[in-house]
Parts: sequence; C-alpha cells; structure tokens
Amino acid sequence: MKREGTKINCNGGKIILNGFNTKKSFPYLLLLPSMLVLLLFLYWPTLQSFSMSLYRQAPFGIRRFFVGLENYINIFTNPEYLSSLWLTIIYALVTISIGLVVSLLMAVLLNQKLRGIKFYRLVFFIPYAISPAVAGALWVFLLNPVAGHVNYFLYKLFGIQPDWFTNGTLAFVAVAIATIWKNMGFNIIFFLAGLQSISESIYESAKIDGSSPTNTLMKITVPLLSPTTFYLITMNIIFSIFESFGTVDIMTQGGPANATNFLVYSLYRDSFINFRPGLAAAQSVILLFLVIITTIVHFRSGGKYVHYQ
Amino acid sequence: MKRFILLLTLLLVFSLSLMTTGAGPVKIEFWHSMGGHNLQVVQSLVDNFNKTHSNIKVEAQFAGTYEDTLNKTQAAVRTKTAPHIIQIYEIGTQVMIDSGIILPMEDLGKKVANDRSFDWGKFIPAISNYYKVGGKIYSMPFNSSTPLLYYNKNAFRAVGLDPNRPPKTFEELKDYAAKLTIKDKNGNITRYGFTLAIVGWFVEQMVANQDEVLVNNNNGRTGRATEALFTSDAAVRFVKLWAEMVKDGIMINPGRGWEGAKQAFLSGRAAMMIESTAQVNNFEANAKSQGYELGTAFLPCPAGVNRGGVIIGGASLWCIADHPTEELKASWEFLKWLSEADQQVYWFKNTGYFPVTKEAVENVMYERFFAENPNYLTAFMQLNQAKQGYPTQGALIGTFPEVRQLLEGAVEEVLQGKKTPEKALADAASKAKKSFAEYNSLFK
Repeated sequence: MKREGTKINCNGGKIILNGFNTKKSFPYLLLLPSMLVLLLFLYWPTLQSFSMSLYRQAPFGIRRFFVGLENYINIFTNPEYLSSLWLTIIYALVTISIGLVVSLLMAVLLNQKLRGIKFYRLVFFIPYAISPAVAGALWVFLLNPVAGHVNYFLYKLFGIQPDWFTNGTLAFVAVAIATIWKNMGFNIIFFLAGLQSISESIYESAKIDGSSPTNTLMKITVPLLSPTTFYLITMNIIFSIFESFGTVDIMTQGGPANATNFLVYSLYRDSFINFRPGLAAAQSVILLFLVIITTIVHFRSGGKYVHYQ
Repeated sequence: MKRFILLLTLLLVFSLSLMTTGAGPVKIEFWHSMGGHNLQVVQSLVDNFNKTHSNIKVEAQFAGTYEDTLNKTQAAVRTKTAPHIIQIYEIGTQVMIDSGIILPMEDLGKKVANDRSFDWGKFIPAISNYYKVGGKIYSMPFNSSTPLLYYNKNAFRAVGLDPNRPPKTFEELKDYAAKLTIKDKNGNITRYGFTLAIVGWFVEQMVANQDEVLVNNNNGRTGRATEALFTSDAAVRFVKLWAEMVKDGIMINPGRGWEGAKQAFLSGRAAMMIESTAQVNNFEANAKSQGYELGTAFLPCPAGVNRGGVIIGGASLWCIADHPTEELKASWEFLKWLSEADQQVYWFKNTGYFPVTKEAVENVMYERFFAENPNYLTAFMQLNQAKQGYPTQGALIGTFPEVRQLLEGAVEEVLQGKKTPEKALADAASKAKKSFAEYNSLFK
C-alpha cells in the first residue's frame, strides 16, 4: 500500500494541502474544532439560559408558562437578592485586594536567590492545584470550633474560641480566608513571572541611587508589574464571582442567615434546591452581564494606569 | 491494509455491543442516595436479589445526596434515560406526585404487575400513612427514621441526675442541660448540656410532637397548602427554647448541617442531643469504644401540652413510568422483594433504619433483639405511640426543600440575635406563603 500522507509545503506564504490551495479556508478549518466546542458547550447553553429566563417552569419541566421579564422583576425587587449582590461586591473587593497584596509580597520573597527556592515556590503553588471543594473541606477542618487546629491555638494563646461558622461575620471571614489562600498560588506564579521579566539593571541603578527596599518596591516593582496586576484583577473578579461556589457550598451553604449567600450560591439554591429554573436562568444572565460590565469598566479605567515596558 | 482490518474489527466490536440488548435478563436501573456504610448494605441487598432472580438484573447506582438524585432524574427524564427506581426523601413526596413522570406504587403493583397477593396493609401504619395520598400509597417505604433524644448516662450520674429518668418536658430539658454544663476554672465551658444541629426537620418534628400542623389544609393533606403556620404556639415555643438555651450557654450551637452536632456529642462536648434514629448503630458503637453508657428517650414536649408524636422521615422508592411494561414488572418484583421480612430485618440490623413492615418487627422481637438493645426499642415505641392524625402524618408541600431552608434561616436569625422568634418565624411564613402560591399556580 502506497503511503499517502498529507503534504504541506510552505511556498512563499502559500499553504498547499495535497495540491489544493487553501490559503483562505485553512485557518478556519483549524479553528473549527474549538469553535464547535464553544458553540455546543458555551454559546448554545447561554442562549438557552436567555430563553429559559423568560419562562416559569414546573419541576421536571412538564409545564411552563411564558412570563416575559417577570423573573427579572422578581429578582430586582427581592431584598435578599439585593443584599446578596452587595455581599458579593464586598467579598470580591476584600478577597481581591487582600489576596493580591499578600500574593505580591510572597512573590517578592519567593523571587530571592535562596537554596531550595524551587521547593518553596512549589509549596505556595499547591493550593491552586486543588479543587475549591477540597480547599473548603480543609478549612472546615482547620476552623472547626470543637476540634479545629485554628481554635486550638487561639485558645492556647489568647483563650478565645471563635464560632467560625455560626456567626455571620466570622463565616464571611472564613470563606474569604479560604478563597484568598486558594487563589494565592495562581497570583504568586503570575507575579513571579512578572518579577523575573523586570530587568536586573533597573534594580541595580536604584540601589546605586540609594533607594530603600520599600521605595524600590513601591516606585519600581509595583508600576512595572502593572500589566500582570491588571490581568490578575480581571481573573480574580471571575474567580471570586463564579468559583466561590465550591468553597461556599462546602463551608457554609450560604449561611448562617444568608451571611455568605453570594450571587452564584443564590443561583444554585434557586435552581437545584428550590426548583425554579426560570428564576435561576435569569440570575445567570444577570451574572453574565455583571462580569461583562465589570470587565469592560476595568479595561477602560484600569487600562490607563498600566505601564508597559 | 492493516489499518483497514483494524477499522473492521472496531466496527464489529461496536455493532456487537449494540446488539447485546436483545437477549438476557431484564435490566433495572436503581438510583439511591445511601453513601458510606449504607451503600454497601444496599449493594449486598441488590446482589442477593440478582443471585436469586436470574431473569432480572438490578443495577444500583449511588447518585449523590437526595437533592442530587432529584436533579439528576430531572435531567435524565428529558433525555429519556431515567432509571426505573429512584430513592427520594420524604419531603420530595408532593413534587414527585406533581412531576407527571411517576407511576404510583399501588398502580404498579395492582394494575401493571397485576399482583393480587400483595398485602398493602402489611406496612407499619405510621410509616405507610406518610406515603399515602388520597388513599393511595405512592411510593414504597424504604429507609425510615424519626428523631430521638440521645444522652450520655455517665454524664448524668456524674452530676447527680438519675440516668434512667431522661428529660420529658422542655422545662426539664433546660434544667438538665444547665446541670450537665461544666466550666473549667477560667470560666470556659468544657461540656455543654445539650446540642442540636440547625436542621429544619427538627422544627417540623417538634411541631408535630405538640400535635400541631405545619401548614394549613390539614398539613396539605386535604388540599394544597397555601399558608405556613410557622407562628403557631408550638413552633414559637420550640424556637424560643432553642434561643434561650444557646443564650444561657447550656447548649452548643453547631450550626447548619448534621456533622457539627454529631461531633460535639460523640466527642463528649455535649451531654445530650437530638438526632435521627438511624444513628443508633453509630452512637452505640461510639459509646462502647469511649466507655460510656448511651441512653435514649422520646422527644421532650412542653409541660401541659398534649403530645402528638413524631413524623416518619427518611426516604422511599419511586417508580418512573416511562419504561416498557416488562421492565416495570421486573421493577415491581424487586420492590416487592425488598419489602419482604427477611430483607427488612437485614436492612434494619445493618443500618438502623426501621423495618417498615409489621412482620419484620415481629421477627426482630422474637429474636429478643429489642430486649437486648433497648435503645432500638425507644425508637420504635416513640413511633408506635404517635397519635395518628394530620400533625404526625407529616406535611405535603411542593416546595418543601425550600421551606426547610426558610426554617433553618429563621432559626439562624434568632440564634444570632437578629430577630425575635416570633418575627423570624413570621417572616419565614410569609416567604413560604409566596413560594406556595407560585408553586400552586403551576398546577391549576
């Protein structure tokens, strides 16, 4: 059997496939598989969410009524949803700001030339490699009021035993800690990459000019890292809005008394516990627009301060 | 050429795998929510059935929590891949009846399988009454449990309480809990008198135990529920007691979900707790290994209030209608077999869930099981002493899972001091009313 393979000749920019001139269609052909996946698993469900959000459905879908924008009106007139919206905004602001500052400091430390630094870097990256659910379970163990290590040490050192999961504020703090810890690995890796791309000569000249370490950090490192920071903020917005689900579900189930009922969790409750697919679909549409809007605003306003070398 | 042969083989294998559906035993898919140890018990029951019934093959699959099973079934129904039998928790009863996808159990037995010998009265009335709607049993009772008061007898003795006189009233519960609470020299509490998980089920049970209904229209049994009666004296009294005990520092609040409270009791941080009767096995084992004596008692009731009783909890087995008659008949064979005394006794002894038939209870009794294991007897006595009526029959609510969450939210608000019991329960009731109206409008 004569072997007939595919011949690709790069002929002055012209791609010839089996003698067929495919200069125009070839790139599309390569894009087709990923486009198909996107269409099937992303765009099609999104469109379905749009249409579903206009209906009220009985469980098991045997009956449904067109209700127009009623689901949206119900959502925006529900005080619980509005407070959940506020809660999500505060949660995003807290986790992103604290998370990024801590990660940056860690990254600066991990950028030193030390023995076994690769091991330390690995250790700090591990939390990102585990799933949000596992991270949540881990923190539930650590913060357990009866048998947790955190309370054991707090009791030994200060004689206090906070009720991490039965006090609303503390539960919020607990979920925020878990999220910051979980995302830190991701942030550190990107900050490290950013730090290593800053030319050594800049630091050297700063040293010669007598700049203090804090001054160097604030005046040189932070501004030169701005493209990385910009990217990380965008990613962290998406993380804290969407990916908080796993952590919340394992740690607090949105409680106590809705103290950690973030938008994505409220959506889950309506869809999978309260069996209101229409209402849940409307919430997912709102969530989608929320992320789109924040991202656009962030690109418009934040983009100006980004300094590219 | 080699490639051609490879392709041919692959095609052959593929087409053969499609053809196997023709002959062989009838396959029945069974989705359940029994995890951990109970998963093995279910599996061994299924294996035993398959061994003794060569013409039927039941495939049991763990589908996650009860909610997961419900959600997976909803998705499967749409793609026509629904299983034959699913295990659904008791509070899913109304939504399953309304689902339009199920075949009522009595119809399956009487009409589809044409089984005239099956005795529909063989179930313990307190259990079958829950699943009986409009005079018809809708699902096969399977894993049934009720709440029970557990206490550490050694802790009772240590503070001078009679270990054979558990608290009977709310007042006594509070009094005992205060006596059982121990502080160290710094004033830190090392043991609490009582603990209770924030689970809506306990509110429902405590309301029934005071012989009151949870929702109107006789607990939704004589018509669809339209009002939640959360501000009844019964509900308010219980939530008030709960809040007072937490505030007095004689009860540890472990938060929502079952695990925290269980840990508190099993680790000795709390001397009394209310948990499901399905935990008797587990708690007995813990007591043995930790070297204390476990006591059990009925749920306390406020002094001067007539006792109603407990409602059956747990889950039952439902049949999905959209399958060929032959497969439905096979499903019936399996369900019928599960309800037989031998299987029921095996199930009861290995899981702690009640046997659901009278014969099974009789057999267990003759074996002197209750005499040797008095804590199992407490569970049974409590169930059998329950007054038969709407309060103990349990509420039928289409949006019950949501109602449970509303009750849990209300309790949390009270325990955090955000609202008074009356206010929190009234708010939850008005939310529930809205949810009932919305649900009912779908079925007009």
